[in-house]
Amino acid sequence: MTRDEIKYLILDIIQNIDEEAEFDDLDEDKPLRDQLDLDSMDFLDIVMELRKRHKLQIPEEDYPQLATLMSCVNYLEPKLKDA
Amino acid sequence: MADWQLIIIGGGLSGLAAGIRAARFGQRTLIVEQHSLPGGLNSYYLRQGHLLETGLHAMTNFAPPGLKHAPLNRLFRQLQLSRKNFNTHEQLESEVIFLGITLRFSNDLNLLIEEVAAHFPLAADRFRSLIREVDAYDPFAERPWQSARAFLRARLAEPLLEDMLLLPLMVYGNAEEDDMDIGQFAIMFRAVFLEGFFRPAGTIKNLLDMLLAQYKAFGGEIRFRAPVAHILSDGGKVQGISLQSGEELFADAVLSTAGIPGTAEMSGWPLEAARYTGKMSFMESISLVPELRLPPERSGKTIIFYSLKQRLAYHRPSGPIDPSWGVICFPDHFQGLAQSGPAQVRVTNAANYDLWRQADEAEYRRLKTDCGQQSAAAVRQILGDYSRDAVYQDSFTPLTIERFTGKCAGAVYGSPVKIKSGKTPWQNLFIAGTDQGYLGIVGSMLSGVTIVNQHLLK
Repeated sequence: MTRDEIKYLILDIIQNIDEEAEFDDLDEDKPLRDQLDLDSMDFLDIVMELRKRHKLQIPEEDYPQLATLMSCVNYLEPKLKDA
Repeated sequence: MADWQLIIIGGGLSGLAAGIRAARFGQRTLIVEQHSLPGGLNSYYLRQGHLLETGLHAMTNFAPPGLKHAPLNRLFRQLQLSRKNFNTHEQLESEVIFLGITLRFSNDLNLLIEEVAAHFPLAADRFRSLIREVDAYDPFAERPWQSARAFLRARLAEPLLEDMLLLPLMVYGNAEEDDMDIGQFAIMFRAVFLEGFFRPAGTIKNLLDMLLAQYKAFGGEIRFRAPVAHILSDGGKVQGISLQSGEELFADAVLSTAGIPGTAEMSGWPLEAARYTGKMSFMESISLVPELRLPPERSGKTIIFYSLKQRLAYHRPSGPIDPSWGVICFPDHFQGLAQSGPAQVRVTNAANYDLWRQADEAEYRRLKTDCGQQSAAAVRQILGDYSRDAVYQDSFTPLTIERFTGKCAGAVYGSPVKIKSGKTPWQNLFIAGTDQGYLGIVGSMLSGVTIVNQHLLK
């Protein structure tokens, strides 16, 4: 997957989790949770969807690396390079 | 490999919500339900062309779409259901009546604040600061039991107001007698007074159908008329279940929504059953009347909580029922509902399970008639002579509740002692639902969601 494809994957997952999510003013370098008003249960669902869709096991200590859209892309790029 | 990754005992609201979570993330999940319909305590039946709901008076925890942190909306996101497409009807207005003093409340908190100020002027400011305190309280933190009555007494110093506030909160969710844990109080205070009453469009059947369809869309399976005999275990792990038919089903994990005593009986969990068996059960009468003739001050109410005595007697009564306090619900009185056909009135009173249990068949029928009349007489003290003869009447007793919901001793709110962690002595057997400590329809579903998230998805 390219960096852009990973970005759309994350946005697609969030849209799936929250039908009201709006991405117009999303800052890629600011925490997703604050900007989209997500709680910890929603955040867990991003991890769960990644596991379901791409068989990715993300250990709990890596969760901070999924904080912003850009950090998600950086973290997932090597893991999804063959996807 | 086991037949299933997860077997859920009970197709009530907590079991369905748990099933949706597990199936959504690919677990091979089976729900086993003893009856032919889903819903448990909140189900329905058909009589004379009417669909009658069991359990549901109103749902608590109302929140409009968009309030992302409200329990109702979090629940919908967790189940991947569209909140925008879920149509709701908010309550009109409800009231608590104690011996001539009436406190009205609605989904606009200001009404209750004004009513408290009007009837208890000395407590007006104290009540406002109580609201702020309850709003900031974290009811899910594990901490020792604390008395909600002592908390209210220290803050309001108005015993009558304390009882008037506690009546709706206790009767819609308290498994303990006379007092309640402050955490449970905070959950109920928010659910009822800060968020409020509503009902789903249509009937409970629409909600159950939606949940079941979502569960199946994620690949979940459900079997009806499949009562469980035993939870099979070997050492510290459970292996699965055996049905009363003798069939055995194996699973990596089992989630029971059958309550603590029910789960103990199936699994051989050695615990003191009496401690976990609730004393609060109820008799409920449903009447369909051709026309409601209510006095002006009582019309247009959704739910009336009444006490004919000065103090709230929230405990198991010494007689078969206690008509001196109770709940009168008008299921047609919600915003945007047009009256069609006969009007429905539901009346709920505390009942003594043991006395109903001991009665033989003839005595049971006699009790039903007598108690129905006692209840109706009490209701006439509140509503006046509100109807001509009912076109249809039915009542549930503690035994009906026990038979159809599996709740031991007909205790609708389950065990007075909750197990918040959902854990049992077996590492892969968990409990969810009423006895895990969340309350109400939204609460029980969040219980199923939370236990699956914490223990079964990681």
